[in-house]
Amino acid sequence: MAAPLELSCWGGGWGLPSVHSESLVVMAYAKFCGAPLKVNVIDNTWRGSRGDVPILTTEDNMVSQPAKILNFLRKQKYNADYELSAKQGADTLAYIALLEEKLLPAVLHTFWVESDNYFTVTKPWFASQIPFPLSLILPGRMSKGALNRILLTRGQPPLYHLREVEAQIYRDAKECLNLLSNRLGTSQFFFGDTPSTLDAYVFGFLAPLYKVRFPKVQLQEHLKQLSNLCRFCDDILSSYFRLSLGGISPAGQETVDANLQKLTQLVNKESNLIEKMDDNLRQSPQLPPRKLPTLKLTPAEEENNSFQRLSP
Amino acid sequence: MSLVAEAFVSQIAAAEPWPENATLYQQLKGEQILLSDNAASLAVQAFLQMCNLPIKVVCRANAEYMSPSGKVPFIHVGNQVVSELGPIVQFVKAKGHSLSDGLGEVQKAEMKAYMELVNNMLLTAELYLQWCDEATVGEITHARYGSPYPWPLNHILAYQKQWEVKRKMKAIGWGKKTLDQVLEDVDQCCQALSQRLGTQPYFFNKQPTELDALVFGHLYTILTTQLTNDELSEKIPLPDTW
Repeated sequence: MAAPLELSCWGGGWGLPSVHSESLVVMAYAKFCGAPLKVNVIDNTWRGSRGDVPILTTEDNMVSQPAKILNFLRKQKYNADYELSAKQGADTLAYIALLEEKLLPAVLHTFWVESDNYFTVTKPWFASQIPFPLSLILPGRMSKGALNRILLTRGQPPLYHLREVEAQIYRDAKECLNLLSNRLGTSQFFFGDTPSTLDAYVFGFLAPLYKVRFPKVQLQEHLKQLSNLCRFCDDILSSYFRLSLGGISPAGQETVDANLQKLTQLVNKESNLIEKMDDNLRQSPQLPPRKLPTLKLTPAEEENNSFQRLSP
Repeated sequence: MSLVAEAFVSQIAAAEPWPENATLYQQLKGEQILLSDNAASLAVQAFLQMCNLPIKVVCRANAEYMSPSGKVPFIHVGNQVVSELGPIVQFVKAKGHSLSDGLGEVQKAEMKAYMELVNNMLLTAELYLQWCDEATVGEITHARYGSPYPWPLNHILAYQKQWEVKRKMKAIGWGKKTLDQVLEDVDQCCQALSQRLGTQPYFFNKQPTELDALVFGHLYTILTTQLTNDELSEKIPLPDTW
């Protein structure tokens, strides 16, 4: 569909296109299914505090939560799950629920509730993205929202106290990361060789945890030990989100790379050839250096030989 | 429970075998218990049956307050009290009975994921229907929840619980959902479960696991409970593999 699709979301940093998990999920999904999405970095809206970011706007529609946005994109024929079987679709739903229940509280805690992290990293970053005077209010609100969510879903009534819940949520998150790592194994994406909705969700949740520099990093350390998940994030970042200079699109970047590779190979071959010619020259001291007929023959032979050796 | 307490309980649990007089506490079956609590209780009972562990069900009006975590059901075994399906499964495992030992790592991950799906979607939808849908709240929930208590306590407790549940719904983003959207989510969840089950008798390996117990608890309760709105039970498409 040619309708211009605009996504408003929080901006990027630390090598990521966006620091906000849900925005990242939508951006990753759009890249996977090839939807032409124009990304607008928002900076001065109250919507961010009500948790309505990211927002997708088309000519006559505004869709707000990641699940709804993904549904909308699917209806517009941008479907990354086309090749999945029904059972894999069911698994996707189950794993997304697992992520939201087990991993999200700990991610929220790391970003918004843990005081060292919040005051040194999260708050300054968000405050820098929002103009004064909202920058004084919004980060605090988002932090309270996160704390609320953690306590209401995990706290044991009647004592809604954070300390009792902290250990539990980190333990659950580590278990969840282990489960994801087991499920991913050595394959490139969760379901075969093409990325799907589940890959978008996992990437969206893991990438900020992986890349953002925090002072208190216990969950990050645990994630870094699971090398296949780290490799998964890096792969997606480098193939779909190549934030290179000049903003070349990933497809363009890949052709440039391919051309560069071919050129390098050619140059290597030529230089090998020249070396061999040189060797031949030096190894035949009896012959005068300018004996042209001999020189003409040997390069041709050498050329044939070297081409045969170099070709795979 | 804190981590230390849990480790302690597991240690003690491992020391003794399952006694004969283990009891499960839930609210009063006829008048008080609500849809979501009934589902949870049935899930635990099914799980214990699958492990062949004898359990006696006792109904008490204040079961919710007796429970260590505030949620029903809870079991009283020896001199320990454990509530909710997750910790009960762990507790039973510490005593040496487990239904999911034969599963591989990937399958265990899948099982946990599906259990979370059921908790996330089905349980939350049940809570929504009970406490946030005005028709059901007025006619059924308020009356049932406060039934063992005299006036005005019955109203106060019911309103308090409703406020709590509404707060939770708002925090997880379900506050703005309409009933139709909730039913759509339930539909999706049931489709997913149906796809996963296929034509097998149980979800994994021809042996029942805690996932089967959990799904049974919820589906049976939804199918057999009379509410003002029967749409929830109509969403369960499969006849019965149970």
